[in-house]
Amino acid sequence: MAHVVRPWRISRPLRLFVLIALLGTAIQGGTPQTKTIGSERLVSVEPLSEEAGEICEPVPPSREEMLLAAMQQRQDARDASKATRSAATQDRSKLKPIRWIRDPYAAYSSVAVDPINNEVVLTDENLFQILVYNRTANTPPSARLTEPKRIIAGLNTKIEFQCGLYIDPKTGNIYAVNNDTVDTLVIFDRNAKGDVPPTRELYTPHGTFGIAVDEAAEEMFLTLQHDSAMVVFRKYADKDESPLRLLQGDATGLADPHGIALDSRNGWVFITNHGAVSSRSPRPDARASRRGAQKQNWPLERAQTVPGSGRSLPPSIIVHSMKAQGNVPPLRVIQGPKTQFNWPTGLAIDEQRGELYVANDIENSILVFNVTDSGDVAPKRVIKGPKTNLANPTGVWVDLKNNEVWTANFMNHSATVYPLNASGDVAPLRIIRSGPLNEPSLGIGNPHPVAYDSKREQILVPN
Amino acid sequence: MHGFTYDEIHDEFTVPQQFAQAILTFAGGAEGETPPLRVIQGSNTRLEAPDRVAVDAVNNEIYVPEGDRVLVFDRMGNGNVAPKRVLEGPDAGRGLDAVAIDPINNFLIVAAGGGGGERDRSGTRFLVFDRTANGNVKPKWIVQGPRAMGGPFAIYPQRKLILATNRPVGEGLAGDDSYLGVWSYEKSSDGPPLWTIGGPNGIFQMPRGVALDVKNKSIIASDKRLNSVLTFRVPELF
Repeated sequence: MAHVVRPWRISRPLRLFVLIALLGTAIQGGTPQTKTIGSERLVSVEPLSEEAGEICEPVPPSREEMLLAAMQQRQDARDASKATRSAATQDRSKLKPIRWIRDPYAAYSSVAVDPINNEVVLTDENLFQILVYNRTANTPPSARLTEPKRIIAGLNTKIEFQCGLYIDPKTGNIYAVNNDTVDTLVIFDRNAKGDVPPTRELYTPHGTFGIAVDEAAEEMFLTLQHDSAMVVFRKYADKDESPLRLLQGDATGLADPHGIALDSRNGWVFITNHGAVSSRSPRPDARASRRGAQKQNWPLERAQTVPGSGRSLPPSIIVHSMKAQGNVPPLRVIQGPKTQFNWPTGLAIDEQRGELYVANDIENSILVFNVTDSGDVAPKRVIKGPKTNLANPTGVWVDLKNNEVWTANFMNHSATVYPLNASGDVAPLRIIRSGPLNEPSLGIGNPHPVAYDSKREQILVPN
Repeated sequence: MHGFTYDEIHDEFTVPQQFAQAILTFAGGAEGETPPLRVIQGSNTRLEAPDRVAVDAVNNEIYVPEGDRVLVFDRMGNGNVAPKRVLEGPDAGRGLDAVAIDPINNFLIVAAGGGGGERDRSGTRFLVFDRTANGNVKPKWIVQGPRAMGGPFAIYPQRKLILATNRPVGEGLAGDDSYLGVWSYEKSSDGPPLWTIGGPNGIFQMPRGVALDVKNKSIIASDKRLNSVLTFRVPELF
């Protein structure tokens, strides 16, 4: 038996590190971490203390033993390789955010009244809900919020970033428009509640916003933001049905259209426009969308954009015949500094008095025009001021049965009601709140990119 | 608005306006109804539907992916200006959705084949070019791990890392398979992320944009279905 003297031995910490390196993982503070192993190989070296006495020289193994050892080594290598692969991804799947910016309360975006059932319906663009309240509900200042009678919400409902609303005056069924992320108009039975699938779905072009229905003709009008267009469907259109008519083109005055309202007495359709638009032209190389393939009266989509044709126009309301189609000019345009337009969004018509109501988002106001107005005209009445509780109103509804006008306020968790003849800085008749008084809304709606302003230490969230 | 970038050297932020085919640059502290400092818009720009944007604050350039091309403008460009370079052609790739610039290692990183809308969410890959690539140029290498990248991504050039949010596979509005992933762009690869954060089976439902707060060693991400913005502290990543 030979005597072997080892000059040094690997310390326990180093052996542990080598083992971890084989697994491709390191542990720090009990938490798995991604590590660049090669740069941290040499941790510590301790000289081996002199062994007292003698140790045995190993006997050379037999061929069988060598083969078994080699096989075992290969198996070990395979196991180690598997372990390395599975450990390659550092799993922080359960990591909790240190901050979470979210609004726990509904942000109302559109409103409609069901006068037969004495209910008001509101869409919520924050939590993706349709909320139904008693029409006469009024949240006291001391109350945290008013509980709705019914809520429609959940993944089965296909509700997301809803912005337009219509109540069938005969049945009370709810037509709710999804914007941007879901190219489907969803229709619910008036008593629907919970996470239920829509009673009916209509697959629409991308970017629907406003809705209006001509009950006499049973036609449904939808505005399309992205394609600067308006399409008209059968009121009872379903799934992949094509539109009956299309209004689109540079002559139409459509430019990022939003709200829509019908004056069926005069046969006019009114549409608000924010003003950003580019031209479209059929391009042979353009690929049709899946939704648009094989359909009639489908708008020219993004792929048919004319490069470099973009314009930033002043906001407007355009007036067309309800039967207009193609690339035809509007009958009239309301536009200019006297109008006070600043993101004019929701629209409603009082056909009895011949008045047009405009939810003027950025100015925190409701503007009232005559339906015959044209050009750069001032509104005949303006509801605006601190008593009104208006905060970025995006939806407006005229309730002719009760002589009231409703607004959905996106930025203060409230819907407010005024008399039809209200003007100036007037307090609402009633308020329905979805959150505590003075609880600020965050205004987040469809966040996509985020940026970090390192100078001000602020997070920038475009919507 | 699907793109947004903050330029900390010049204290400006830049956004694309898809409908009006414009790139707007604002002062960093802009608030309320403030006009942009500069607008790139017009017939010479070749802008079609600008959705995403990146600014190279070091080399003073603005990058705009436009599907089958990446347009590069002078950062100070204003009005109806032509791009100074255009990366386009069969070798450069198609479906170019989002971009990031690595001015330290001189790379242009382009996300291709993914994004939202009707595009195939399962085919996202990152193409790594020389920063000044022009014309029909092949990528230097391709990172193919993030198969369902769903929005503008971030990079951390110091470690050559891509941080991208991954949407659920399929057409659902949300999904537990969402996560924020981290990949290396040091060489071509096709594999799982180095890191998964906030999922799968975590907090994310439909994550989208991502940004870095390097000073505080944090990652900021938006989630469409949660309609919110989340900040994760991950010091070991930096």
